[in-house]
Amino acid sequence: MKPPLPVRLWQWFEQTTPGRAIFRVGVPRSNLARAQAMVSSFLLHLQPAKVQKRTLQPATTLGLGLISLFLFAILTVTGVLLMFYYVPSTERAYNGMKDLEFVVSAGLLIRNMHRWSAHLMVLAVILHLCRVFYTGAYKRPREFNWLLGVGLFLLTLGLSFTGYLLPWDQLAFWAITVGTNIASYAPVVGPKLKYLLLGGNVVGQEALIRFYALHVIVLPAVAGFMIAVHIWRVRKDGGLARPDEPLEAVEQLDAGQLPTNKSYGLMELAKGTSPQVGVDPEDLVSSWPHLLFRELLVFLAVLALVLSLAVFWDAPLEQFANPIHPPNPAKAPWYFLGLQELVSYSAFWGGVVVPGLLVALLALLPFFDRGRAGVGRWFARERAVANTIFSVCLLVMVVLTIIGTVFRGPNWSWQVPWKEPPAAREEH
Amino acid sequence: MPDESPRKFYGLFIVLGLLVSVLVVLGYYKDQFRDWKTYQHQFVKEEVRRATTPQQRLLAESTPVQIRQIVLPDLNRVDRCTTCHIASEDPSYGGYPQPLAYHPHHDQHPFDKFGCTVCHRGQGRATTTAAAHGHAEHWDEPMLPLRYIQASCGQCHQAADNPAAPKLARGEQVFETNGCRGCHKLGGTGGLIGPELDTVGARRTPDWLRKHFTDPASVTPGSGMPPQKLSEPDLEAITLFMLSQTGGGLPGYYASMKVIPSATEGRKLFEQKGCIGCHSIANRGGKIGPALDDVSLRRSPDWIMRHFRDPQSVTPGSVMPKFGFSENQTRALTEFLLHLRDQQVSLSLPGMISPVERGREVFRKYGCIGCHGPEGKGGVPNPNAKTAEQVPGLQHVADGYTKDELKILLLRGQKEIAPLDPHRPPPPLYMPPWRGVIQEGELDDLAAYVFSLSTKDKDLGF
Repeated sequence: MKPPLPVRLWQWFEQTTPGRAIFRVGVPRSNLARAQAMVSSFLLHLQPAKVQKRTLQPATTLGLGLISLFLFAILTVTGVLLMFYYVPSTERAYNGMKDLEFVVSAGLLIRNMHRWSAHLMVLAVILHLCRVFYTGAYKRPREFNWLLGVGLFLLTLGLSFTGYLLPWDQLAFWAITVGTNIASYAPVVGPKLKYLLLGGNVVGQEALIRFYALHVIVLPAVAGFMIAVHIWRVRKDGGLARPDEPLEAVEQLDAGQLPTNKSYGLMELAKGTSPQVGVDPEDLVSSWPHLLFRELLVFLAVLALVLSLAVFWDAPLEQFANPIHPPNPAKAPWYFLGLQELVSYSAFWGGVVVPGLLVALLALLPFFDRGRAGVGRWFARERAVANTIFSVCLLVMVVLTIIGTVFRGPNWSWQVPWKEPPAAREEH
Repeated sequence: MPDESPRKFYGLFIVLGLLVSVLVVLGYYKDQFRDWKTYQHQFVKEEVRRATTPQQRLLAESTPVQIRQIVLPDLNRVDRCTTCHIASEDPSYGGYPQPLAYHPHHDQHPFDKFGCTVCHRGQGRATTTAAAHGHAEHWDEPMLPLRYIQASCGQCHQAADNPAAPKLARGEQVFETNGCRGCHKLGGTGGLIGPELDTVGARRTPDWLRKHFTDPASVTPGSGMPPQKLSEPDLEAITLFMLSQTGGGLPGYYASMKVIPSATEGRKLFEQKGCIGCHSIANRGGKIGPALDDVSLRRSPDWIMRHFRDPQSVTPGSVMPKFGFSENQTRALTEFLLHLRDQQVSLSLPGMISPVERGREVFRKYGCIGCHGPEGKGGVPNPNAKTAEQVPGLQHVADGYTKDELKILLLRGQKEIAPLDPHRPPPPLYMPPWRGVIQEGELDDLAAYVFSLSTKDKDLGF
């Protein structure tokens, strides 16, 4: 059977001189060629040439890291398209949003995709973090990658938060006002931090240009670089955490030696003749095509989800930002509403102690939780204590966020969403 | 390893691929299918139908289907209304159904200078019907119903002297004669009991305002404002006048049109500038300059205009100063002088009317009528006030106060009103302090007027 036309065209192209100059390895036909195809490509070599069969099973990771990555990619592409039209000026930004909606071809669709992807990415990153915790995958030798992950989580929040201001509508203005006020509760540095972020004491033109620069250059560049390292480290740390990971391999990694696993052996990069102890060669499969094909499927699924949200639901755009007419209540973006709810009880505890402690605990987690029991298994019995503590914290944050989102009405008073709120008193 | 081949996912791959394609097509369709294109096609079709020569037909067929917009940098507006209302400047489309109808009477306000939304409101940047007409969530400026459209004239022009906006003038008159100023500040003058009204037209809808006049408490619970008994035309006019108070200062060219060169405006200027010091009308006034009663018979409009710009240029040796009037002021004064013979002019000039008459004007100007009633007869409800739950009339003021005591009371106001029942909420209306608002001379006149209301003399009759 002849391969289909696109494949034949591709095969022909690879035989030409420029084709050979670009792709050293053609469409691979042997396992060796498949491994070479992976390592000889800049992007693909971030991933291992061979993966455990286990890695390919959806239940192992739920694909959450991958989903976050693809959302980041969609955000980058739609974000650049939006940049063609966006002017970071308080006078023009809002009108730009209106023009996107009413004049620019597909402008609203692109903005919707960007908006919904941003929310989804925050969600996916949080779920990814939970997955890594519940499978104990942050433990030795993956401490540093966990640390990178916590950094990427904060960067994701930062990216979403800085982007929130850019439409310059009431929603943007007051969410950032509330959000930066929470930041200012930190002792000593808080007010300075707020001043640094806003370029002043209130949200204005200086804040807009700073948030814009952070949103389109600084944070994406840092995040992009860290994502690359994060993925590369997954491979360098011996692939996904798994219950049967031999201790020797972990110690080899810690000692800075190249592991003697199969792909390195195949490429004669590592000395040694025996395959890893306890690993049946049959458990390893080539990333090309098994992993790559599944990744493509996840990408299509993510794209389909984002597109269907974007086609049927429009991104919010409220009135032009008005510094003298705060909405009541003024709410931060949803992922900060748990904090805002805490702040409503105590600015110091909710704005400083709790978030500071949570981030510090997350970052230091792999360095004080050193046991290797239960690694690579969901909700391992051996990790019951850690899992319980994490779940309680998570649950509290989720409940606080739900309260802040749904159950808080004017003046941050308790409000039942299915009841008509009492009419806000007219100013008279 | 046949089960590990990605071939088993080909079905899923095809399904997801198709789903993404369908969504992209759907998104494209939603983006490309816009109402305005339908309307423009209708317009092109109509133009083609009207064409009589092949050339005209060709021209009509080549009408581009595209977004049309009027960009008004000074007003910070982009009006895309003509994207649907494409024939609004073509009189031959008079009587056509919307959106293809012709917009009559736009010669004074050319679209390329004024756009549409500055008068009609709505959302100029929008290109879908609901959003453009401002009936969208998070858009605070819905289109003004046509019956209230004269409100927009008030943004640039003074209400009283715009002959094209009689409802607006009537609204201003209702406002000034019903004592609204007693409680509400407008343009820097008025009481402090109710809110300022300078931006009320941008904040409130016509329906809200109407309800607020007939039954204030229905839209503002706890409001102390007395319900207004107004005739339907008066109600519509005052609503319209309120809608004209948008507080949006219009820039440059638009603000310069404040003064419509009308006789009314000219008369106002004539009074303000003290022309009567030198000239006389109907034998009142100075004798330094010539009497002006029949100036329209003696001089051409052009002569009068030039005379205002530079008296000496037409009357060498004239001692009349150059006043430096703006072009519109000059035209207004000229208009006034030309119409002196047509109408009975009664100038209200200082020194010619009695303090009581001036005081009546002060009483009207600051809206005292709003609480104390016309001619100070009282009767306005003030729930829970000891004085029969009403604002007291002023007929007996002269019995209880000296003029100086009255003036002190006027300046200080009376914040505490004795309640009928201390357990009920305090009376909502009170006497605001007028210090710094009412001028010194006005205060004397007002006191004289209030004293003139005294019924003492008439009481002696029985």
